[in-house]
Amino acid sequence: MKHSYIDRYSGIDSFIHRIDPRVKIAGVFSLILSIILARADSFVSFALYALCIAILIFISKIPLIFILKRSLVVIPFVLMVAIFSAPAIFRNVLVKSYLSILSMILLVSSTPFCDFLKALEKLKFPRIFTMIISFMYRYIFVIEDELMKMRQAKEARSVGGSKWLHTKALANMLGVLFIRAYERGEKVYLAMCSRGFNGDIRTMHSFRVKRSDLCFLALIVGVLAAIKVIGA
Amino acid sequence: MHIPDGFLAANTWVPAWLISIGGLGFCLKRTTRILKDRMVPLMGVMAAFIFAAQMLNFPVMGGTSGHLLGGVLAAALLGPYAGAIVIAVVLIVQCLIFQDGGLTALGANIFNMSFVGAMGGYFIYAIIRKIIGDNKGIVVGAAISAWLSVVAASSVCAIELAISGTSPLKIALPAMAGVHALIGIGEAVITCLVIGFVLKVRPDLIYKNQGA
Repeated sequence: MKHSYIDRYSGIDSFIHRIDPRVKIAGVFSLILSIILARADSFVSFALYALCIAILIFISKIPLIFILKRSLVVIPFVLMVAIFSAPAIFRNVLVKSYLSILSMILLVSSTPFCDFLKALEKLKFPRIFTMIISFMYRYIFVIEDELMKMRQAKEARSVGGSKWLHTKALANMLGVLFIRAYERGEKVYLAMCSRGFNGDIRTMHSFRVKRSDLCFLALIVGVLAAIKVIGA
Repeated sequence: MHIPDGFLAANTWVPAWLISIGGLGFCLKRTTRILKDRMVPLMGVMAAFIFAAQMLNFPVMGGTSGHLLGGVLAAALLGPYAGAIVIAVVLIVQCLIFQDGGLTALGANIFNMSFVGAMGGYFIYAIIRKIIGDNKGIVVGAAISAWLSVVAASSVCAIELAISGTSPLKIALPAMAGVHALIGIGEAVITCLVIGFVLKVRPDLIYKNQGA
């Protein structure tokens, strides 16, 4: 189980972790939006955004190495676009995408995933999607484990052989995985029905906005507005 | 191809978001009509399946490897509407948790892979299936449409980058389409083998266009 990958650092205690998830989402999303919509030629504002993110990361106590490592997902796409873009445009695009990725990583790694989903729902993100996503989150690890086991079994027994044979084995594995996943879905549904499921999911825990949350939101909005003014 | 934030200009990602929201709303309506309250658990588990399937890398050519996109696979098994939703959910999770694809670009990514890839691919699949007929039509249709869907999705991605002014269309389109024409071969082979397998073992699970 690699459960720890997603929620690895969401359990530590820091000011950022304690902020109400709704406030955090609103803050980070507006940060990303203002980065994306910033004028391409104002280097001052990009530097200030970077400084902001650096401060937030520092307060959150999440190891910098972890965040930098995760931010590498952007590389393949960047390399591809680098080949056929003008250098000036490319630099602008690279800075924007990297800053946004850092903010997203900060957001998700400082919020437990279930809280994150619930906050999205409270912010009017369609409920059906948050329900599907929470199911998916629950079963990703189960299904992935199943796939890894099958792959291990295959690799333990098959040495050499033609490429075609391996491809075929891989495809059959996926086929089995699909059938098992489908049947699991049906079983889960029946189990839920027998417990009175009627298409609605209820949870008990609710969020409360504290005064420090409002201060944080006001601070973020103020800083973003200030950067807009300085950079313009 | 998951487009990160910053690569698309507002004149591209805003409309893409609007189209994707509208499209997903429509798909949800159609799917709920068929699946009713089975929808949530089934879609959740299927999204987890596609997510896991995408983690398998297969060798493409000359030492490079690609991974399954699963658009046509999902659509052929679950139908175009449910397939599009499943792919969209996978993309949302990849964006939110793994930062694979940006927040503002999410609308465009959903448009490329759910609607152009999975749904568009499905309609090509359905046409080929009708012409050839039988199980052979299903397998051949899956292979051809899987290849086409990958090339089409990447071409649309190149067009979006061009509209945003990030990269010139004349270079980006052939490059993207060319690279993905190769990756698409792997996608086609895997998709048609998986569909062939399910067809042999549980033919009832292949989506049949009825009662929609």
